[in-house]
Amino acid sequence: MPKKVVSIIVFPGSNCDRDLAIAIQKHLNVKTEYIWHNEAKIKHHEMIFIPGGFSFGDYLRAGILATKSPAIKEVINFSKKGVPIIGICNGFQILTECKLLEGSLLVNKNQLFICKDIFLKIENKKSIFSKNIKKDILKFPIAHGQGNYYASKDSLKKLEDNEQVIFRYCSNKGSVKNKNNPNGSLNNIAGITNKKKNILGMMPHPERAISDKSTADGNIFFEGLKELL
Amino acid sequence: MIYRVFVNYKKGILDPEAEAIKKTAKRMGFKSMKNISKGKFFDIEISEKKAGLEEIRNLSEELLSNPVIENFKILKK
Repeated sequence: MPKKVVSIIVFPGSNCDRDLAIAIQKHLNVKTEYIWHNEAKIKHHEMIFIPGGFSFGDYLRAGILATKSPAIKEVINFSKKGVPIIGICNGFQILTECKLLEGSLLVNKNQLFICKDIFLKIENKKSIFSKNIKKDILKFPIAHGQGNYYASKDSLKKLEDNEQVIFRYCSNKGSVKNKNNPNGSLNNIAGITNKKKNILGMMPHPERAISDKSTADGNIFFEGLKELL
Repeated sequence: MIYRVFVNYKKGILDPEAEAIKKTAKRMGFKSMKNISKGKFFDIEISEKKAGLEEIRNLSEELLSNPVIENFKILKK
């Protein structure tokens, strides 16, 4: 049987697309295909990734200009059909800007671009993306200037009630406190899904944690996606 | 015809940049300052008023501002 193909959307300014392809190929028995943002058709749509980076230089608001690219129209179409979609970092920002995910990612509370390893608590394992993650706490790097998750009171309540929060920033022992919150995100939120739970957005970078000395927990994350393909 | 679209954060959204400006202003001795908010504006030239204004309104909603966190206002320049 020919290998399945996972699509990775590439924008001018994306910079995690290749790391993502390497991580996917390492763990999932699939091929990867880069889709340039100007392409109006996504041929392979078993699963779609939107990588990190600085699409369109983060001009206007991080992620917004990318939402007007033809490839994103296709992503929106496929999202309605239940195709699993994962947006990482800038990919998360793009998914909130095109309203596939609730809320918005504001400038970090301390105004700094934060680049360091953090700990993530898997808040629930009921989503297709998290149910096979074989650990409760993961160590991933973050690298962003706008990762401060915000949603209105109502939206936040719905997110929590529907169990759409998948990852929260925590201590190495899994305690979710303000001091473990690197960027000011409400409820320490680091990753959420949509209501239908086929779209995941997350600020931390699993694709940058597959061969690094400081953490290789990204392997556990990608291994957990196997069942989807 | 030029219209100016102002975009700023909704009430309750913390803007760390405005907070930093406020702290510095206080340090400089501006004692009466209670609050400062920061925004941005876009000047848009159009050729036809009725259709143009409609387009500017749509553009402000769909691109220039994010309704989750920002308000916008259109004024004639």
